Amino acid sequence: MNKKRLILISFLALAALALSACSGAPVSNNWHGLAADSERAYLAAGSFVYAVDLKTGGEVWRYPAEADNKFSFYASPVLTSDGQLLAGSAGATHVFVSLDPATGRENWAEVFGKGAWLASPLELNQTIYAPNTDGFLYRLDLNGKQADEPIELGGALWSAPVSDGVFLYVASLNHYVHIIDPARGTVVHSVDVGGAIPSSPAPGGGGVYVGSFASTVEFVQPDGAHEVVAKTGNWVWGTPLVDGETLYYADLNGVIHSLDLDGGSQNWDGVQPDDAIIAGLLLHGDQLYAAAESGSLFALDRDGKIVWKKTVGGRVYTSPVAAADLILVAPYHADAALAAYDVEGKQVWTFTPAK
Amino acid sequence: MWDTLIINPMTNVLLWIYDALGHGPHMFGLAIILFTILIRAVTWPLNASQVKGAQAMQELQNDKEWQEIQKKYAKDREKLAQEQMRIYKERGINPFASCLPTLIQFPIIIGLYQSITRALSATPYDMLKLARTVYPFQNVEAIIPLNSVFLWMDLGRPESVQVFGFALPTLAIVVALTTYIQSKLTMPASTNPNDQSAQMSGMMSVYMPLLLGWFALNFASGISVYFITSNLLGIVQYAATGRANWSSLIPGGSKDKKSPAKK
Repeated sequence: MNKKRLILISFLALAALALSACSGAPVSNNWHGLAADSERAYLAAGSFVYAVDLKTGGEVWRYPAEADNKFSFYASPVLTSDGQLLAGSAGATHVFVSLDPATGRENWAEVFGKGAWLASPLELNQTIYAPNTDGFLYRLDLNGKQADEPIELGGALWSAPVSDGVFLYVASLNHYVHIIDPARGTVVHSVDVGGAIPSSPAPGGGGVYVGSFASTVEFVQPDGAHEVVAKTGNWVWGTPLVDGETLYYADLNGVIHSLDLDGGSQNWDGVQPDDAIIAGLLLHGDQLYAAAESGSLFALDRDGKIVWKKTVGGRVYTSPVAAADLILVAPYHADAALAAYDVEGKQVWTFTPAK
Repeated sequence: MWDTLIINPMTNVLLWIYDALGHGPHMFGLAIILFTILIRAVTWPLNASQVKGAQAMQELQNDKEWQEIQKKYAKDREKLAQEQMRIYKERGINPFASCLPTLIQFPIIIGLYQSITRALSATPYDMLKLARTVYPFQNVEAIIPLNSVFLWMDLGRPESVQVFGFALPTLAIVVALTTYIQSKLTMPASTNPNDQSAQMSGMMSVYMPLLLGWFALNFASGISVYFITSNLLGIVQYAATGRANWSSLIPGGSKDKKSPAKK
């Protein structure tokens, strides 16, 4: 009897363990968020936000000091005009924190929003616009207090708002780009682009360019008018890149496109260096940088010719960032959490967080 | 292998049903319910064998020879087990037939849980995995993101209802209750306190509701919708045979009714 009871309890415990193993905490996992200023890179990598010295690749500080399941950081941290570093958590509690970028000291921490912070905030005119997965755009002052009622947009908000200087553009997973008048705090237009929008729109040409799961890039104007400027063979995940009259964008097939916005024609055909491209493209100097899911970093010239290719390791989903003449890449599921390359493709340092 | 054989087909069936329903609010919950009915239909032969096995075990409890060996070898468990195996063999009864469907449920539960979380894609990384999961025929651009609202629940999160400031886990309670009812209905009435099969069934009827209630408490509420639907269908299926042991729902009720001393 005791033996059978033991077997039964063991079986049930194993079953519980099996299901627990596939459980996530509130938000299970995601790739890293990355930002930088002239001295440090700021990496949001799960339990911690790290500050990494750009000269040495050494850890300057981490927040919090000890791992705490309340905190899971995935959204790229944001520096404000008054010198704060903002980071939102997707952990057990949805803490939104302000840190001192030099020391990692906490300025303030506020818990609000029903969903997770997967999107970076935007600071505009001393107001912080923070999109949450609960579908609300929260408005805070620089002390972390809610300055105004949040704006309900609907759908999960995964990407940072952008501004054209007048209006805010907030992309939602429910296929809409919302155009907001920040002065009045009202949505003036909501534009359906036909597919989920996981990344921020790119301001340019008096409006914004929006890539979506509809495998298109649309141009959305402040008055709500919109048109498809490009069709792709797969989802457009990363934020398109506007450089004068050229629009760069990549898709999940790994094809990098260069569109002449003036004439509407493609500048090159079929540049497909490697694997799927989820990360946004980066333009720094004369080179275009693309990170592929396979864990490779590419530099291309303006004609779409691959100048160099480096294997970073792991999988790369985070958009590369340029700082202090370095190209920073944050691979996921790799030994190093951050790697720095110079513009010629030489690896300068890697950062692996100490346990 | 697990993804190819379990997660991908399950996720695609769920998405297909969701799309067919019009992919609006509440439709993912409805898709889970329809999916559960589908699973019950596919596993119908197994469930039928469970019902048959449970009936055979129930009938055995009132069999004279069975009762006699229980008395005769009450103090010799080894011999009792041998005799029980002999009777099982002679009458073509598989004592584990009623357990098999329960065991088969576990991969389904794990697979469904993973399919629900993948379909609801709480993070970009989950969404990317979903993109690689969907079959080409799916109208995935139109249905993503899935609407996770079902009645008062967010199917991607554990459920609770605020009652006087307390978070009452109503679904977990209903899951535990329906699991208890289902296991009690199919539990053979025991005539002998030393009957090991009945003791095992008795333990299962206590532990399983607690286990599934715990799952419901801690996991996405979509899995609770599956548990409740599956339990209700199981109860209906068993009740339809006319052999449901309703008296066993009351503590001690089964023994009072079936005890040979009262015959």
